[in-house]
Amino acid sequence: MTLSLFESTGRLGRLKNQFIAKMTTRFPGLAQGFIHAYQAVESNDIPWTPVSKPLDESRLVLITTAGVHHPEQPPFDMSDPEGDPSFRQIDAATIGDAYTITHDYYDHTSADKDLNVVLPFERLRELKREGILGDIAERHFSFMGHIDGPHIPTLTTDTARQVARQVKADGNDIALLTPG
Amino acid sequence: MIQRAVEAIGIPTIGISIVREFTEKVKPPRTVFLKWPFGHPLGEPFNAAQHRTVLLKAFEALYRIETPGEIIDPGLRWRREQYK
Repeated sequence: MTLSLFESTGRLGRLKNQFIAKMTTRFPGLAQGFIHAYQAVESNDIPWTPVSKPLDESRLVLITTAGVHHPEQPPFDMSDPEGDPSFRQIDAATIGDAYTITHDYYDHTSADKDLNVVLPFERLRELKREGILGDIAERHFSFMGHIDGPHIPTLTTDTARQVARQVKADGNDIALLTPG
Repeated sequence: MIQRAVEAIGIPTIGISIVREFTEKVKPPRTVFLKWPFGHPLGEPFNAAQHRTVLLKAFEALYRIETPGEIIDPGLRWRREQYK
């Protein structure tokens, strides 16, 4: 997300960004002006794939922009004010309570306590057990949603397409996307 | 932007949004919108019934939306709903 409200880097700058994130979480109106200023780069043609299978026969993959990753994976780059367009693979079977969120641009206090706030693996397993959802992918994908400048084309022409190809190759039927 | 790429390769997608104006600009194929604070797309920590409600609303929107770019607002109020 393009929010020029955040422009500082370095240790003090990160603290400032984290403070702004806490304030905009509590008072969303503060971010409105910056969202309003976002110039869309997307075309008016909206991609469309009809849903072909019922939910109880569908395999679902999660994709988040909440900055979640396994602790041993490299964190997202917080030193670049224009963000980090890379992604991390998330292994649903092993992530459990051992996860890290590297993202200074939203207040992730709640998601730090319970991953289900951004990646609802436990709820999806419950729905699968109840027969409401067919299956859950083994690998899921995580980005850091604060992307600006030259990283926007990197995201749209490179990393987002890489993830799309992997999602398809894994045999998923539907994808749920969650923000930070 | 990521959602559009996944849809374009042939996987139907549903996105949760908490910033409606941003979603209207990026134009993902299908969206369920919640007027909730940043960082809480599924709701509050450990509120399983709330998370489940959001997931079921998202799945409902996935199957109901027939117009590309449509945003469904299920009208869930932050901290003012009873979830079972």
